[in-house]
Amino acid sequence: MPEMTRPLKSTTGNYSKLCEDINKYLDVLKRNVANIDSVLETLDPQMHALGVLAVLNAKYSAPASAGIDFETLFSQTQLFFTTCNGEQVRFATDNYAYLAHFFTQALVQKKQPIRGISTLLAALAKIQLHPGQLTSIHADICQLCLLSKNMKPALPLLDTDITDISQESGHFDATSFLCYYYYGGMIYAAQKNWNRSAYFFEVAITTPSMAVSHIVLEAYKKYILVSLILHGKVPNLPKYTSPVVSRFIKPLSQSYHELSNACASNSPAEVRVILDKHTEQFTNDKNMGLAKQVLASLYRKNIQRLTKTFLTLSLADIARRVHLNSPEEAEQYVQNMIEDGEIYASISKKDGMVSFHDNPEKYDNPEILRKIDDQLRECMALDEKLRSMEQEISVNTQFVQKSTGGRGEEEDVAFGSK
Amino acid sequence: MPLPIQHISQVSLEPMQLDLQPEGSESQEELSYTVDSPTLDLEAYAVCYSGFAKINRLLFIAAHCPALRVEALRMALNYTQTTYNTQAYQHIHSKLAEAVTSSSLLPDAVAGVVHNIPSLDTNWIEMTNKKAALKLEKLDTDLKNYKANSIKESIRRGHDDLGDHYLDQGDLSNALKCYSRARDYCTSPKHIINMCLNVIKVSIHLKNWSHVLSYVTKAESSPELTEQKESKENMVIVTKLKCAAGVAELATKKYKPAAKYFLQASFDHCDFPELLSPNNVAIYGGLCALASYTRQELQKNIIASSSFKLFLELEPQLRDIIFMFYQSKYASCLKLLDEIKDNLLLDMYLAPHVATLYSQIRNRALIQYFSPYVSADMHKMAEAFNTTVPDLEDELMQLILDGQINARIDSHNKILYARDIDQRSSTFEKSLAMGLAFQRRTKALILRSAMLKNDIQVKSPIVEGSNSSGDNVSASAGASPSHR
Repeated sequence: MPEMTRPLKSTTGNYSKLCEDINKYLDVLKRNVANIDSVLETLDPQMHALGVLAVLNAKYSAPASAGIDFETLFSQTQLFFTTCNGEQVRFATDNYAYLAHFFTQALVQKKQPIRGISTLLAALAKIQLHPGQLTSIHADICQLCLLSKNMKPALPLLDTDITDISQESGHFDATSFLCYYYYGGMIYAAQKNWNRSAYFFEVAITTPSMAVSHIVLEAYKKYILVSLILHGKVPNLPKYTSPVVSRFIKPLSQSYHELSNACASNSPAEVRVILDKHTEQFTNDKNMGLAKQVLASLYRKNIQRLTKTFLTLSLADIARRVHLNSPEEAEQYVQNMIEDGEIYASISKKDGMVSFHDNPEKYDNPEILRKIDDQLRECMALDEKLRSMEQEISVNTQFVQKSTGGRGEEEDVAFGSK
Repeated sequence: MPLPIQHISQVSLEPMQLDLQPEGSESQEELSYTVDSPTLDLEAYAVCYSGFAKINRLLFIAAHCPALRVEALRMALNYTQTTYNTQAYQHIHSKLAEAVTSSSLLPDAVAGVVHNIPSLDTNWIEMTNKKAALKLEKLDTDLKNYKANSIKESIRRGHDDLGDHYLDQGDLSNALKCYSRARDYCTSPKHIINMCLNVIKVSIHLKNWSHVLSYVTKAESSPELTEQKESKENMVIVTKLKCAAGVAELATKKYKPAAKYFLQASFDHCDFPELLSPNNVAIYGGLCALASYTRQELQKNIIASSSFKLFLELEPQLRDIIFMFYQSKYASCLKLLDEIKDNLLLDMYLAPHVATLYSQIRNRALIQYFSPYVSADMHKMAEAFNTTVPDLEDELMQLILDGQINARIDSHNKILYARDIDQRSSTFEKSLAMGLAFQRRTKALILRSAMLKNDIQVKSPIVEGSNSSGDNVSASAGASPSHR
């Protein structure tokens, strides 16, 4: 044992060399899980972060028969993530991510997902170079949030747009990428932020693919439902969607397409028929809740359409035109929509008339101008970002060589600039 | 969790079925209506056409109008006997027999014609078949001879004659083949035009509309037609081409180009019995124009057009309709339209489009009616359009939703108000939406470039079994998603 702890304890010098050394010792560590705690005691997360990381990983990968006490391990991990030396662990991003995955899996198995969220958020903050960098820990956090039905902690993460992806020594794979966007879409859907939700699912669907992943398929199903709630129809997928995906995904989600066709008819009755017909599939896919919201949103969409054509309309007429059962139900819907700011209208109780108004926003107050200004800034920042990316590529020697010389593969590189 | 393979193959079949369905249902739709009280003079109608067009048109009428069925079939039967088309003869005869037996169940209404069915002339069939075979053989040997001598002109003629013969027999696809083969032996622009006309003729009967249009352009671009526009012969050809193109556009539901083509037909040179009569040109052109032209276009291209006026004289009812439409007398205009509807439904090229054209004309009338007003009383409007207020409300609602009328309905007072849009606000709204769309798209692109840079890709899994090669659903990224 002592000879083993020597490299783990090394604090000075070349960290990348140290990483390699430690990786060689992993097997030894795994074999000696039983008395590994003694090793751990001699290590300090601040000084020997890499060593502690290796030991903890060995503990997680030990077979269940080794009799490791989970509570101890949990607090050890927690301690490590909160106090470890960020500079050191950046040399072993892959092992760091593994530890996060082990930690997540263990919590999921123990059905205590909520305990890990804050720890992982701290872990993420340590390893990220900047907030726009995607790591595989993102997906873990989202999974824990979803499982514990506690969406709030993930929102700041999700709201930050990703501009960069952590390599994690080549271990970052499509699975965690897809999972992050799939879970993210689900979290947004739970928050009823349909716009972002659709965007996240779209990213998952358009990930370059050689084959159709199950995650992509599930994301596509939810994408259809969310788009129906958001727009009332399913927009075309972007052109860069992989051909395999666009070709094979439709036949695999027939019932969802039937639903979207039914929605296109604007008839709640037809939607209900499809919902009843495919209840089993929707329930199996755990999408029944979303599917039901599609129906509710259809009523709202229809009422919104009325505002475009009518100045006044009686509640009874509204109920008739959007196929609601009674004027009271119509009143309920209209009332809710007025409160949510989806329509501008007033109900006259005297004769049961609803008068629809135009958008009262006149775009002449400082607040709205401020909002517009913010939007402008955002657009300009994005433009700036694009420019710098293009700059980066246009001075890339490989790109210059290819674009001036052989024209064959130019496209791959040029594609990156857009 | 790999999906079972059978499940996939089952599901993947379905889209094809979906594709097939609409076609079938369309042809059924065509068959589903009948016209009870046409005011059509069959004799005069049939005289306008010749060849295949005559047979087809008569058969179409027979299929859709029980009252004229027997007469139409008899006419078609008589006509087929002047051709080599024995197949059509037998087909029509069996239909006629059927029609007569079914109508004879009715008491004495058509009893007068019952004893009048000609019996199946087997003699004639045999003879004609024999004659046709002989002629075919002769033409074939002729063509071989020409080919052996390689005289281009004669080979072309040989092909044309063979094509004519096939057409006479009713074998359209072979006729088309022969006519197209003549193409390689065309030496002068005139021949090319001739070949184009032949191909167009057959393609129309085959309902191959894109073919028709491409050959029309081909013929029109030949120097013969572009340079010597004035000669009578060329005018006839141009008119034929315009009519064919018009019918093709009509059949593909492009009413505005169709109207344009028909309006270019020249009355004095309209001689195209293989396809349509001048009356047809008037009706097709007039209706398409009514449905798709604006008021100004209508005035300029139809009412003030001296050449189309001559066509309209043939169809006084339609002329009145167009004039009334222009004078905003919508009620009587729509009433007249309803009157001629039955006859239009018996026209094989127009019938599938009558409903669409009528609704477009009606919508156009509604739009025009409202265009000068800021507010309009819906009671008066309903009166002007021969309809009830609730129906009008529904119609208007549809038009408003389609963005064709810019107005809103005050359902309480039944008044239609023109909508005045605050340009400033809507510009703000639009630009904000545009900005958001831009942000969304750009963010997606930046993310995508990061994805590509890091080579993130869903790859095929390590092949588990030998059979999974055709199975494109993989479990490579198969960590089963958690549930809410």
